[in-house]
Amino acid sequence: MNLKPTIGIETHIELNTNTKMFCRCRVVDTEEPNVNLCPTCLGLPGALPVPNEKAIRYITLLALATGCSITKKGMFHRKNYFYPDLPKNYQISQFDLPVGENGNLEIVIDNEKDYVEIERVHMEEDTGKSSHEGSGRIDSATSTSLDFNRSGIPLVEIVTKPVIKSSKEAVAYIEELRQLAIELEISEGKLEKGNLRFDANISVAPSESNELGTKVEIKNMNSLRSLERAIDFEIKRQSSALENGDIIIQETRHWDESKETTTSMRSKEGSADYRYFSDPDIPNMVLTDEFINQIKENLPSLPHENRNKLTETGLGLSDSNVLSKSEKWIFELYFEVFNNTKDSKASFNWITGELQGQMRKLEIKSLPNWFSPNFLSDVIKLIDENKISFTSGKVILEELIQMDTTPDEIAKRLDLYQENDEVAISKIVNEIIDNNQDIVERIKNGEDKLVGFMVGQIIKSSGGSINPGMAKEILSKELNL
Amino acid sequence: MELLNLSIRELNKLFITKKTKPSELYSEIFNRSASSEAALHAHLSLFEETNLVKAKKSDERFSKSENVGLLDGIPLAIKDNINIKDEKTTCSSKMLSNFVSPYNATVISKLDTEQTIYTGKTNLDEFAMGSSTENSAFGLTRNPWNTDYVPGGSSGGSAASVASRSSIAALGSDTGGSIRQPASFCGLVGFKPTYGSVSRYGLVAFASSLDQIGPISKSVDDARIVYSAISGHDSLDSTSINYEQIELPFEKNATIGIVKELMEDGISEESKKEVEKVIDILKLKGYNIKEVSLPLIKLSISIYYLIAPAECSANLARFDGVRYGLRVDGKTSYEMMENTRAEGFGNEVKRRILLGTYALSAGYYDEYYGKALRARKKMVDEFSTIFKECDYLISPTTPTEAFKAGEKTNNPLEMYMSDLCTIPANLAGLPAISIPTGLSSNNLPLGVQIMSKPLTDNSLLDFSEMLEKELEFYSTPEGWSK
Ligand SMILES: [Zn+2]
Repeated sequence: MNLKPTIGIETHIELNTNTKMFCRCRVVDTEEPNVNLCPTCLGLPGALPVPNEKAIRYITLLALATGCSITKKGMFHRKNYFYPDLPKNYQISQFDLPVGENGNLEIVIDNEKDYVEIERVHMEEDTGKSSHEGSGRIDSATSTSLDFNRSGIPLVEIVTKPVIKSSKEAVAYIEELRQLAIELEISEGKLEKGNLRFDANISVAPSESNELGTKVEIKNMNSLRSLERAIDFEIKRQSSALENGDIIIQETRHWDESKETTTSMRSKEGSADYRYFSDPDIPNMVLTDEFINQIKENLPSLPHENRNKLTETGLGLSDSNVLSKSEKWIFELYFEVFNNTKDSKASFNWITGELQGQMRKLEIKSLPNWFSPNFLSDVIKLIDENKISFTSGKVILEELIQMDTTPDEIAKRLDLYQENDEVAISKIVNEIIDNNQDIVERIKNGEDKLVGFMVGQIIKSSGGSINPGMAKEILSKELNL
Repeated sequence: MELLNLSIRELNKLFITKKTKPSELYSEIFNRSASSEAALHAHLSLFEETNLVKAKKSDERFSKSENVGLLDGIPLAIKDNINIKDEKTTCSSKMLSNFVSPYNATVISKLDTEQTIYTGKTNLDEFAMGSSTENSAFGLTRNPWNTDYVPGGSSGGSAASVASRSSIAALGSDTGGSIRQPASFCGLVGFKPTYGSVSRYGLVAFASSLDQIGPISKSVDDARIVYSAISGHDSLDSTSINYEQIELPFEKNATIGIVKELMEDGISEESKKEVEKVIDILKLKGYNIKEVSLPLIKLSISIYYLIAPAECSANLARFDGVRYGLRVDGKTSYEMMENTRAEGFGNEVKRRILLGTYALSAGYYDEYYGKALRARKKMVDEFSTIFKECDYLISPTTPTEAFKAGEKTNNPLEMYMSDLCTIPANLAGLPAISIPTGLSSNNLPLGVQIMSKPLTDNSLLDFSEMLEKELEFYSTPEGWSK
């Protein structure tokens, strides 16, 4: 049976506003539980929500950046369900009038562009955090500890249409979305901190079918790696079930990181009915054209625009994609180096390969302040002009990161400049030929591999300052090879 | 001189002229409220100790002429669904029997700046759901006019407190008539302001789109003084409004509408007669009178009993034993939440939560809650059309006089009908007031209700004060007048 998987992803991004979504509690990163609380985010009797304008601005920003159409007359809804870490036992969310609808996000996969259709972008308040001691599950825990510091932090939820076809594509989508949130400066985008959380809806159907299979929701994926593995596992599980003639049950499954499997979460009786209704505590929200236009005018350069700028320098799509997702200073450094060298491939390789490699080795996160982008351009140029060897370039770079100097000083100090004067090189070459007549004889008799030996002798006698290419060229000329 | 029968303005004058002191008034009030408890059970708590200190400070301010306003040293009773910091807010529910509020409702913060004294918290129907104060987990409240009868509800404790002169005035909350109906049953003025003109922050929500805090008092002027102290925009309540009041015309320039649908079947002859009495006065004063029809009013109870329970089903979901209030243990968190809610809520509250949950369920939303919302919107339109031709609408406040305790407890539907005249103002967000007009043949008070368009609260109060003077109804319940 030929089967095809279809995936939809729901992502929650924690917005980095100063205060919570509906109260004035400051959002503070702290390990101490239950310190950032007030009557509103703790759901005390009589407390009321007041929407955070900055959060609405951020959500509108994301909706515009993903090409969504904006709902000018929006509404907050109550999503009703009971859970101990949900203080009001309803979550203020958006239902039929989300901030944004019908957008899309450009992603790069296998050196090609693709687009993920976005169904909706809407606002939500975060819940508290539960720790179920004993079992990790609410139904079998011996006790449950609750921390409401997170309660009421603004979230934006981005829901894709069921259009993603592989785990690889899912990962590329999350990477792109994360980068977008960072460029928009609406979130730190730190997965390990839970700034970005995702659930996947996965179904498998016969390739020729126009209908989707029964969807299964996967929760508890905490990293891109677990997202990829959970999707792969689930596709395999569903596919073999279908091949065995089994039926897929619509359910929510839990990704077990240690066992690398998905397991069924105890299915609630019937399907969840959230009984959405418009929150009577919050008047309808009107996003004026002025508000929307002001956000539009201040949109920063988006990841796909950055990618385009990179491909315009001649860099391949895949490399451009990598650079567009790196830290801002790396992205900027690339353009400075490229503008000086006009060599996109070398600029990319030296930055992402050598420079970042050295930094990782030295365990430093940012370049020292004496390090000018011109240093890197100079090194690339010196290699291009055969003035130094590639290896010398690496040595120079390593020094540059560690001390306040210049490539020229290092090259001089370590005597790395290559001899490029043909007359001078010829002199040395002829000396070597004279001293190695037996070898010359054998080369002439067809022992080509001895050319390398001769080149080595030439470089050695010059103390390493001769460019090997030139040495070989002059040697060949002298021997009439 | 009978201090307890005086108005706020009169008391303030006596304080200023040093004929009496806030502490003297408070001591009389405390004695009265303590002694009325056995017969009426209007209060759930009395704050004697803190109040003695407060009253003394008030004395000092008056002696140094540093008094802050009309409410300085005036003892007000507070319905026990309004949060006062460091005091219990029980909502007359077992669920919150141990809940101490860590914060003040906005109305309390505002009254604090006026140096008002809070006599204590008053009894109510559990979570303000009811029309008789019989749905209190802590025992019913009785009507000071005749203790066989209910004081109305849900702000029955506040009404009984003011009527028995156990407080000078009181705060109530009104979701479907919970201020006006008990005020009418107890021969008092009850005022439900325009929706959004008084902050709901710190009022334990029953139905957020309908709830409004307002005063219950002996006179319109007292209601006005309390209203002006507690109203105003509040940044902690998104539904709080910040608009200027609109002034309505008076006398021959004003038109009075008599709501036809509230003078028909289901309304007692005695209640109708009170309206007619008022109309005769208005005619003499030169007002234009006309009968108006608002056909959708007949549906108000149906609309209300879908919208209010739907909202309450979500508003009361937070009472789960997790963070505060009652907790009844269970083997799992869910079982604990279930056990807590099963034991913590009374029957009427459970009935409404179930009704509301059902009305919002998938597959029923459109048929019930959705339809109720659409009907409510139509009713609002009907009102705004009527207010183009009328300035004030007059009707009875209640279909009948107060009923006997126990008379309707087994018939919720009949109990719901007692809010027929008051619910429309909540659905449309209108200011509405009940003023006492006379006594029934059973010697129980009757009142009329006046409604006007949103943001005309001040005009409505002026108009009601004029009527109050013409009506000259100043009876007090026997046994409590001295
Ligand atoms: Zn808070």
